[in-house]
Amino acid sequence: MSGPLTLVLAEITAGTPTVADMIRNTGLPDDVVRAALDHLVRSGRVTSSELSIGCPSGGCGTCGSALDGAPGCGRTTPDTLSGRRPGLVSLTLTRRV
Amino acid sequence: MPEPTRLRLPIAPTAQGSSPVSAKCGCHAVADRTAGADAPVIALVGAPNTGKSTLFNALTGSRVTMGNWPGTTVEVSRGVWRSTLLTPSCTCTDCSCDSSDEPTSLTVMDLPGAHSLDAHSPDEALTRTLLVDGPADERPDLVLATVDASRLAHGLYLVAQLRELPVRVLVIVTMADVASQRGVTLDPASLSTTLGCPVVVVDPRRRTGLDELAIAVRRILTTATPTPRSTPADDDQLVLDDDRFTWLSAAVDNGTSQPDGHRRTLSDRIDRWVTAPVVGPLIFLTVMWAVFQVTTVVAAPLQQALDGLFSGPVTDAVAAALTATHLQDTWVEGLLLNGLVAGVGMLLTFVPLMALMFVLLALLEDSGYLARAAVVTDRVMRLIGLPGRAFLPLVVGFGCNVPAISATRILPDARQRLLTALLVPFTSCSARLTVFVMLGTIFFGNQAGTAVFAMYVTSVMLVVLVGLILRRTLWRTMGSEPLIIDLPAYHLPTLRLTASVTWQRLRGFLKTASGLIVATVCAVWLLQAIPTTGGEAFGEVPVGDSVYGVMAHAVAPVFAPAGFGQWQTASALMVGFVAKEAVISSWAQTYAAEEPAPGQTGVLGEHVRAAFEQSSGGHPIPAVLAFMVFLLAYTPCIATLATQWREIGPRWTLFGIGMQLVTAWVLAVAVFQVGRLFW
Repeated sequence: MSGPLTLVLAEITAGTPTVADMIRNTGLPDDVVRAALDHLVRSGRVTSSELSIGCPSGGCGTCGSALDGAPGCGRTTPDTLSGRRPGLVSLTLTRRV
Repeated sequence: MPEPTRLRLPIAPTAQGSSPVSAKCGCHAVADRTAGADAPVIALVGAPNTGKSTLFNALTGSRVTMGNWPGTTVEVSRGVWRSTLLTPSCTCTDCSCDSSDEPTSLTVMDLPGAHSLDAHSPDEALTRTLLVDGPADERPDLVLATVDASRLAHGLYLVAQLRELPVRVLVIVTMADVASQRGVTLDPASLSTTLGCPVVVVDPRRRTGLDELAIAVRRILTTATPTPRSTPADDDQLVLDDDRFTWLSAAVDNGTSQPDGHRRTLSDRIDRWVTAPVVGPLIFLTVMWAVFQVTTVVAAPLQQALDGLFSGPVTDAVAAALTATHLQDTWVEGLLLNGLVAGVGMLLTFVPLMALMFVLLALLEDSGYLARAAVVTDRVMRLIGLPGRAFLPLVVGFGCNVPAISATRILPDARQRLLTALLVPFTSCSARLTVFVMLGTIFFGNQAGTAVFAMYVTSVMLVVLVGLILRRTLWRTMGSEPLIIDLPAYHLPTLRLTASVTWQRLRGFLKTASGLIVATVCAVWLLQAIPTTGGEAFGEVPVGDSVYGVMAHAVAPVFAPAGFGQWQTASALMVGFVAKEAVISSWAQTYAAEEPAPGQTGVLGEHVRAAFEQSSGGHPIPAVLAFMVFLLAYTPCIATLATQWREIGPRWTLFGIGMQLVTAWVLAVAVFQVGRLFW
């Protein structure tokens, strides 16, 4: 039987386009899915990257990486997955040799 | 108030094996900040931002601000927690012991924030060293794991790992108020049963729950070290991690409850439709159609007013100034009136339209809708086998192709970058919009918005079809990766951000109009002023006989099969190679120079309509549609070429120019030849 991590990984592989779809498809709690995604990113199975180009005209605080108005440059944890900030984040499966 | 001791512990990259640090280390630097060699040692662990350091300060009376920055030296704080409630002699169930009891002291260590014991960072490496890899007798007597109640699953992974170790674990749940605001109800007793260790709810900021924590700590310290949780006998890390997630998922299920199970927000409910495979694209198309329709209809009166201003009072004022300075009937009059006022003035009439368009797009962007459009676009692109992440540069291309080509750098694969950079010029940028709106207004009246919208749909289709052809021919082996987008919640757009984004884009449009377009207007004027025959003077030659006119006459026959083989139209496309905004200014210049009589400069539309009528043999509608398709598909501007040159090199840039010109010409001819059968 597959656990939450395997289910989430299968959703990524299947090409589920959004985290919301993933939550719906797996039936897992929102928090568990986001924690699983965070874990997959930390363990290197999934690559997370901000979908933004350059710096915003509205100042660092308006950037997709910003948290509570503070600049987000250099963040290493995918906080967006935790619903803490509104940026677009893409997750891609890391190819393992 | 005692000051805590801060240890700076340089952590080796790999924490396996022996380590110089331990929880009970009697280092000289910390001797005066411990409760004594025999006092129990408690380690505070938890993910960053779970209130761990605030709790440490509350327990030890210290003021410590911790910062966990990956790659820097890890800091650990130690302090003494003194409380009568910790006194082992107290056996009360509902404790209210006399404060005269001798307080018990414990050494508390505040370990750096760690999501797990997997040692992915120096912070986690230290935690692992102290709790896992160090000698068993040097480990702390008790581990207090702080867990954010609003993100319970995130914190429980570390707890799952701790429960696999032979250590006493006590879970401290913080931020229960935040969880409550989100509708999550916590059941500490059930959570404790599932986790197999005590659970105490504490608010370190308000210092509530500290007494309950002291009592729970006192009790657990008197019990034996618990049996570790059993784990699967499998070497595969994924299997082991999955088992931990199964365990923590059960704990979340048992220890929390939400009013309606998986609570769906308003955003979720809207997204159900907006990102749906079939309905989503239809909604996207409808929204974009509405944007163009509203833009053209609302901006039309403002545009007419500005047109009247430039062709009337501004022209009259410049003419009067020229007369006053005795420069009338000289080349200066030609440059100023027929060039700058007619050319740049005509372009500036589009400012209200562009402003309105930018406002509407900024509203869509700020509300979170464009992120959904990205999902819809991504799905379509993946369907045809294009790289999923390529949607972002392509979406940017609808604003301006130059930053869009730079944005291809986000793509990890060189071939994906190349393919996307070749497709970006087919996205209809805002400069082309001005020409589409002008021609749409002249030929389609109230349906101008629909005509413009059709051009944007054509643009998307061009990207898809050309992308497919290139994928099937040049890059057959290129794979596309799965992509997940975490959508931000919808929210009301803010006036400040909308105004800021609009102004930034409008400023870019004005900057182009005042820089590149003025230069182009001057160059066009110069070419129109140079005669090709000996009998005419500089600046007094009919445009058709100028260098400009002769060049245009030479090129025009190429466009005859597409229904716009007239030299004035061909010349506008030549100038459009520099920048698409210059198409309008060059038309205005050409027709103003041809008929410089007062009152004639305001009827540019009539001139353009007559030109298409004449060149198409009475089929102006298919001819203008063919012209618009050509304008959409051929080289966007000189700046885009320069960026392509930099990003993909000269060979592929030249390939792109050729591909765009061939595509544009073939499509334009097809549109006209098929269209003339119906119109």
